[in-house]
Amino acid sequence: MSIIEAVALRKVFRARERRPGIVGAIAAVFAPHYVDKVAVDDVSFSLDAGEVVGYIGPNGAGKSTTIKMLTGILVPTAGVLRVAGIVPHAHRTANAANIGVVFGQRSQLYWDLPLRESFELLRSIYDVPRDRYRQNMRHFAEILDLERFLDTPVRQLSLGERMRGDFAAAMLHDPKIVYLDEPTIGLDVVAKEAIREFITRVNQERGTTVILTTHDLADVERLTRRIILIDSGTVIYDGLLERLRDEYGTHRTLVVNLAEPYPEFVVTGADVVSREANLVRLRFNRRSITAEALIRRVTERYQITDVSIIEPDIESIVRTIYREGYHDGPVGAPS
Amino acid sequence: MTAVTPARPRFRLAPYLHFARVAMAREGTYRFDVFTSIASLLIRVYLLRMVWLALYARNAAPSELPLHAIITYSTIALLMGLVMDIDQTRLLHDKLHDGSIATDFMKPINVPLYFFSDGTGEVLFHAALIVPSLLFALLIVHIDVPSLPVLAVFFVSFFLGYLIGFCLNFLLNCIAFWTLEIQAMQLIVTWITDLFGGEIIPLVIFPAFLQRIAFVLPFASMFSTPLLIYVGVIKPGRYLEVLGVQLFWVIVLAVIATFVWRAGAKRIVVQGG
Repeated sequence: MSIIEAVALRKVFRARERRPGIVGAIAAVFAPHYVDKVAVDDVSFSLDAGEVVGYIGPNGAGKSTTIKMLTGILVPTAGVLRVAGIVPHAHRTANAANIGVVFGQRSQLYWDLPLRESFELLRSIYDVPRDRYRQNMRHFAEILDLERFLDTPVRQLSLGERMRGDFAAAMLHDPKIVYLDEPTIGLDVVAKEAIREFITRVNQERGTTVILTTHDLADVERLTRRIILIDSGTVIYDGLLERLRDEYGTHRTLVVNLAEPYPEFVVTGADVVSREANLVRLRFNRRSITAEALIRRVTERYQITDVSIIEPDIESIVRTIYREGYHDGPVGAPS
Repeated sequence: MTAVTPARPRFRLAPYLHFARVAMAREGTYRFDVFTSIASLLIRVYLLRMVWLALYARNAAPSELPLHAIITYSTIALLMGLVMDIDQTRLLHDKLHDGSIATDFMKPINVPLYFFSDGTGEVLFHAALIVPSLLFALLIVHIDVPSLPVLAVFFVSFFLGYLIGFCLNFLLNCIAFWTLEIQAMQLIVTWITDLFGGEIIPLVIFPAFLQRIAFVLPFASMFSTPLLIYVGVIKPGRYLEVLGVQLFWVIVLAVIATFVWRAGAKRIVVQGG
């Protein structure tokens, strides 16, 4: 059963346009000129309970605006939106009880308070029963390793510690849905890994629905099977990550270690991308030649010590789509 | 999927008491501030006493306020300032400024009530400083103590004056919904309050035309009214009238504040802040 339903969602902001220069600045004060900016043009999707979906798009594509509409703090200009059966902006507080939110760039913890007291305050805001609260705290403290800094004021925490605190804070009231807006931004590898592990466990153990917006596509590859790609306020792809890779990731790279310093290196069916001493990188289209056939061609002519294959990364695929647009029939639903 | 209308969440007082408690604790972490504010209060009590002594020695005394009354007036005014001079809704401005107000709207709370609780907690902490400050002040000056009924009316009037101050601060910080810079505006209001509120110079000393201006503004209800009740210039026969004027201002400003808040919150909801 779908827990989130968005149909033809649209959000237009009325922005004040300012002409450049001093004259423009003065004119803006006395005779402001307004223009409509379409942040979200036409977004439809539906999410099943317990799904994890990556909501991906370049800066200004409308990701945050969509998230804000889902949380109920922005009223859509047009379209229909239901989150756990509720119209978010019409019943903001009822919706708030169902959701948890983490912003990578903005903490919802209380700056002057020790982390533990922020949690206590949230317990009282969300009316979490005491034993449930204790249980969750124990659980989160273990996964996120919070114990060390529970009594430190939030302003003294490192970014990684603060983010771990923010995740625990967002999950304390067992929300049905969590929105994660750039949750791993600026974190080191260890902290990123801890956060990803936490998201996976929360989703698996509690069946929490997760919407994740991020620029770090490693997050997406690690956490989600389904992605929704948006650009200029419209959904350009909605489906499995795998399928996108199949369709767009047609070029693979074969890395060959040569046994001898051959002066010349040529193989039909593949292009030499780079060569450093005995290390050669070959780019080939896997629709026209298999890796096995290519390796055979290489070994027929050259002595080699080692080969490896680099798969196309999702990052370059997404970059291609932003640049060229998605063009493979209609936008598909997840199969 | 059809939309359901969720039951309106039951109002619970607990989170708001918690907000107030947290605000008190937060103020307590700036302990150095506490000592400096008491010290600066004592210095001001001493300086004002010197000023009034000097002025009264030159026979500039108005008939309504003998020397002991004006020193009482100034000292009580300074003590009231310990809570009246706090901008207890500053947090609203800060949150609008850095955009973190969005996270408050994502919580199942009544947002203006949250700011009220936070501000009240902050003020209660500073109100607790009045008693020690008063004891220290008594070492420097002698002040009159009115009869118990008058004292009771004074506290009622003080409380109404506080509510007026709260609404004014809230309104000023709401301006940040539209323009993020409110300092100039706040400065102007502070000057006007200083002049027409009667915190520093009692309004009864003012020339008649300035008194008339002060009378139609809300600021006199903040300081002057409770203070003049305390020193006995406002006699019991006028209590109902002056308290009524204070109540009038509380209601007018609260209504305006509610409208401005709603317009501001709508702007966030529609424009995204």
